[in-house]
Amino acid sequence: MESTFYLIGIGFVFGIAAWFLFQWAVRSGQFDDPEAPKYRMLDDDDEKPPKP
Amino acid sequence: MSATEVLPTGTVRCEHCLQEVAANSALTAVIDGKQRSFCCHGCLGVYELVHSQSLDAFYSRRSDWKPGRPAFAKIDPADFADQVSSVRQTSRIDVVLSGIRCASCVWLVEKVIGRLDGVVSARVNYATRRAVIEWLPETVCLDNILQSLSGIGYTPRPGSQAASVEISAGEKRDLLLRFGTAGFFSMQLMLFTTALYAGFFQGMEARYRLAFQLISWALATPVLFYAGFPFMISALRALKGRALNMDVLVALGSLSAYGYSIAMIFTGGEVFFDSAAMIVTFILLGRFIEAGSRLKAGNALVALAELQPGEAMLMGDTGEAVLVPIERIRSGELIEVIPGDRVPLDGTVVEGSADVDESMLTGESAPVLKAPGSPVYAGTSSLTGHLKIKVSGDARSTMLSRIVRTVEEAQARKAPIQGIADRTAGLFVPATLLLAAATFAWWMVAKAAPVTAVMNAVSVLVIACPCALGLATPLAILVGTTAVGKKGILVKGGDIFESISKTTTVVLDKTGTLTRGKPSITDCIDCGVSDRFMQHCASLEAWSEHPVGKAVAASWKGVRLDVEAFRTIPGMGVSGLIGGEAWHAGTAALLEREGIPIDPESLRQAMQLENEGKTTVFVSCSGRVAGLIGLIDDLRDEALEMIASLRASGLRLMMMTGDNEGVARYVAAKCGITEVQAGLSPIGKADAVRKLKSDGETVMMAGDGINDAPALTEADTGLTLGTATGIALESAGVAILNDDLRLIGTLFGHSRKSFSIIRQNLAWAFGYNMVAIPLAVSGILHPIVSALLMASSSLVVVGNSLRLRKY
Repeated sequence: MESTFYLIGIGFVFGIAAWFLFQWAVRSGQFDDPEAPKYRMLDDDDEKPPKP
Repeated sequence: MSATEVLPTGTVRCEHCLQEVAANSALTAVIDGKQRSFCCHGCLGVYELVHSQSLDAFYSRRSDWKPGRPAFAKIDPADFADQVSSVRQTSRIDVVLSGIRCASCVWLVEKVIGRLDGVVSARVNYATRRAVIEWLPETVCLDNILQSLSGIGYTPRPGSQAASVEISAGEKRDLLLRFGTAGFFSMQLMLFTTALYAGFFQGMEARYRLAFQLISWALATPVLFYAGFPFMISALRALKGRALNMDVLVALGSLSAYGYSIAMIFTGGEVFFDSAAMIVTFILLGRFIEAGSRLKAGNALVALAELQPGEAMLMGDTGEAVLVPIERIRSGELIEVIPGDRVPLDGTVVEGSADVDESMLTGESAPVLKAPGSPVYAGTSSLTGHLKIKVSGDARSTMLSRIVRTVEEAQARKAPIQGIADRTAGLFVPATLLLAAATFAWWMVAKAAPVTAVMNAVSVLVIACPCALGLATPLAILVGTTAVGKKGILVKGGDIFESISKTTTVVLDKTGTLTRGKPSITDCIDCGVSDRFMQHCASLEAWSEHPVGKAVAASWKGVRLDVEAFRTIPGMGVSGLIGGEAWHAGTAALLEREGIPIDPESLRQAMQLENEGKTTVFVSCSGRVAGLIGLIDDLRDEALEMIASLRASGLRLMMMTGDNEGVARYVAAKCGITEVQAGLSPIGKADAVRKLKSDGETVMMAGDGINDAPALTEADTGLTLGTATGIALESAGVAILNDDLRLIGTLFGHSRKSFSIIRQNLAWAFGYNMVAIPLAVSGILHPIVSALLMASSSLVVVGNSLRLRKY
């Protein structure tokens, strides 16, 4: 039954990691615009502009 | 737009902005071996620029662009200087872009700006129309970036200008961070709590129980003191000011559950950290949803204010016009407006005449003739002629900004849910506190151990906490709005189902709501002067900008005849030579002016048409009346069905319109509405709605124009149709997206259902309190049982709300 405590410990590590990931995501603005990404994913990588 | 699209003869579509322009006034340029037409130099410039950067994909990908000329305004980099922030080597600015019409615009701006030398990144937020640009100050200067933006038709404005109506991005981020944290830890917490519940009934080894209790404590702590921090602060502030609000109850309930649970860890009782955490999480979810809708409302006001141009052509003493910001223009000064431009300020015409499109103010599609002496309003656009205007007030006193303020005020006033919640808290909180105190006193008097007395008092506080109550309404609303959303009805905000179910009067706007908003030909009286009467009329009117003219032109699908010496007589009609004969089409006044006699028979027929609510066009050929054309803005096909279904459910129906009495009466009679108010201004409509409300009616207003916006916000429920202008859409609580009036009936049915589910939920939640609180007072209820009851009562509320999905 000792393994329960180990598993809880491992679960915590993953959980805290996910929480930090979430913090990073919010702070770096990943959730700021829920509208544009669905269009942006359809954008092609563009052809380079001709060199002048 | 496809190349095969058929446009009225004599018009072409601008390649860049898709606006229809008369072929003879269009600019043409050969680009890529193909002749292309443009409405103005600005559009041509943008097209060339986009083409030279190989960004032509912009034109093929934009599917949701509405035709409309971009604004090319001069910008002053000095306005932006204090907005720049520096991070290490890069500078950064946050600007609001006007002119973003579709998702492709976002793409175009990001590409064009992102490719400038020295620009590190350019990101446009489609939802808020804001752009964040980072650049290296050594390689490129801000001036260049701003010029590039306005060069492709998107005018940047300093971010701070729009800040007053928006909540800051930072505030929303903060809320998301707190709610996300609360949700995350609460979910973890539930895992351990479930184990503890199971342990209570099946038995559990003591060390596991202690370990799980300690873990629960650790998990609940950040939820209460990080995520719940705003509640705690607000509660503290309220208590300091000797007031009681909902936050006091939330803080009190969660803190007492928390404190009680800590005490229980040490005395060996059962904990319920989960109740403490859940309260905070659910209340935060509610706040988060509310912040989203507030952001939307703020954007709507920015969009409305954008209709007012930022600059005006000021006529100097020397007679030369210079472009200056409207803030610098004083009352009494002269400004010039050229065809196709928006009027920047309210004023009176002193020179020139033009047909002015006032549809954004009045909602009526027909342009209004403005001649010396007529008032003109900011935001309306001149279609045909040059105007010289004497400004009558500054930028803040225009009709448009008054409408903006009216909408703003009405929105600010409209937060009854929060008010009711706080008022309820004002009664509920002291009652709960008294009850808890009484419970403590009772057990002390009964000579119980002080610990038991405290335990029972805390039980009361915990059970009284508004967890199921808080869940009852928002959840039903969430499920309900999703269900109607699938049918094409967009419901914004929670209190709407309630106000719809309580509605007693439905006020309908005429133009665009009951009617199609576009005139169509009903009568064609040919006097036999010329054969191929309609062909001649359509050919002549093909050059007209007027909606009536366009309707006539659109009715003829065949070959058009050549028209020479075409002329528009503002406010009256058009004239031209077809096959050497002089043709006129327009009002009776036009024929009178040209000295063409109207025979009594034609006059009689015209009278009859007018009585039927129709607009009459007189057509003459070589000095004789050739015929009459009658047009009507026809009722929508489904209007009668909708009215019948609303009437069947016992609602009072009214029609309000800015249109004249005669047409209004005719349309009202046709669809069986007896109460009509005609000739109302936008503010007048709002006043009329307010009067209805003060008479005790609960009002739903259905409209579609900017002119309806104040009334839509004033009404208990505002409803717009999919064809509505943006601001009407945003200021209304409900939008019917696929433009089918019959959905109003569906909406009523659904709202009543949703509202009754909400009431059932509330009844259940209250009922739970009614039963559980006395049990807690009497000390019968073991805390763990009450925690389970709390969870199961939430489940009942969830299940009940989900029934709405099937409706």
